[in-house]
Amino acid sequence: MRYSYGIMDERKILLYKPHLFLKGNDLLIFPSKDFHKWHGDIKEYIGGLYQINSINMEKWKSITISELNLAVGVLGNITDEIENLFDPKRVSDSSYQYISTIDEEYTKRRRQWYTSDMRRCDMRIPVKPEITPWQKHHNMMEIIDHAARELTMARRKKQKKLTEILD
Amino acid sequence: MKVSEGVPSGRIAEVYNPVLFQEHEEVIVFAREEFNRTYSSIREQIDYINKVDMHLDRVEEWKLLGYWTKILERINILDINMNLMFKKEPVQCYLDSYLYDTIRNSEKKIAVAGNSVSVQLKHSI
Repeated sequence: MRYSYGIMDERKILLYKPHLFLKGNDLLIFPSKDFHKWHGDIKEYIGGLYQINSINMEKWKSITISELNLAVGVLGNITDEIENLFDPKRVSDSSYQYISTIDEEYTKRRRQWYTSDMRRCDMRIPVKPEITPWQKHHNMMEIIDHAARELTMARRKKQKKLTEILD
Repeated sequence: MKVSEGVPSGRIAEVYNPVLFQEHEEVIVFAREEFNRTYSSIREQIDYINKVDMHLDRVEEWKLLGYWTKILERINILDINMNLMFKKEPVQCYLDSYLYDTIRNSEKKIAVAGNSVSVQLKHSI
């Protein structure tokens, strides 16, 4: 997203990167300190959600209802933060600022076996492949090969039985 | 948070509410339309997860296995959106939310005033 910092100077803003915005564009202006704080807060909550998910990553363990309730609670906090962005009365508490230190491994999107299985079920296989003379011949030879194998097996069994009886 | 709209003119941006900000305060400036897209995409993801949560019967815990992956997908998009605010490149979900927005061209607005309830139908192009 295009963004630029700027500084208030005589009731106007001096933009650091003015080339990013076209003349007719509408702009939204936030105090940078408060905005970073707000951004960090939401990132902290999202980090929390990933932490809840980390239980899911171990084998033989999955999310339970109580963990879902916890996640929904954290999501409620995110909703609060999102809605308070445009509330001028709300003053952000700048006593601390969160900087995400969560391991990238936890935020990665991994293969979801449930949905990929479902996708495999939905996948369509071409029903009628075109039959060429080569394929016809190949198929015939396969049948003959199979029959020949069966025959030799039967013969060997017969011979074995015969030798047993003779012995 | 203090917020104001404005318009750029050359190196300077004119602010509609300059009283809100102090002199020499550092500010961050976004293009409103782009910010709107990301913001509404975030709202969309939260609404989706809330809907899933509401429809899920707490007794049927086995269903959670399937739903959790869906919820996690949305959390991922949420995270991408938050990261997008300080990135230069546009992302696919940014376009998706924009496309989704253009489909809804009429909305009902309900305003409650005292005892009487009035329904206003608003059409936007």
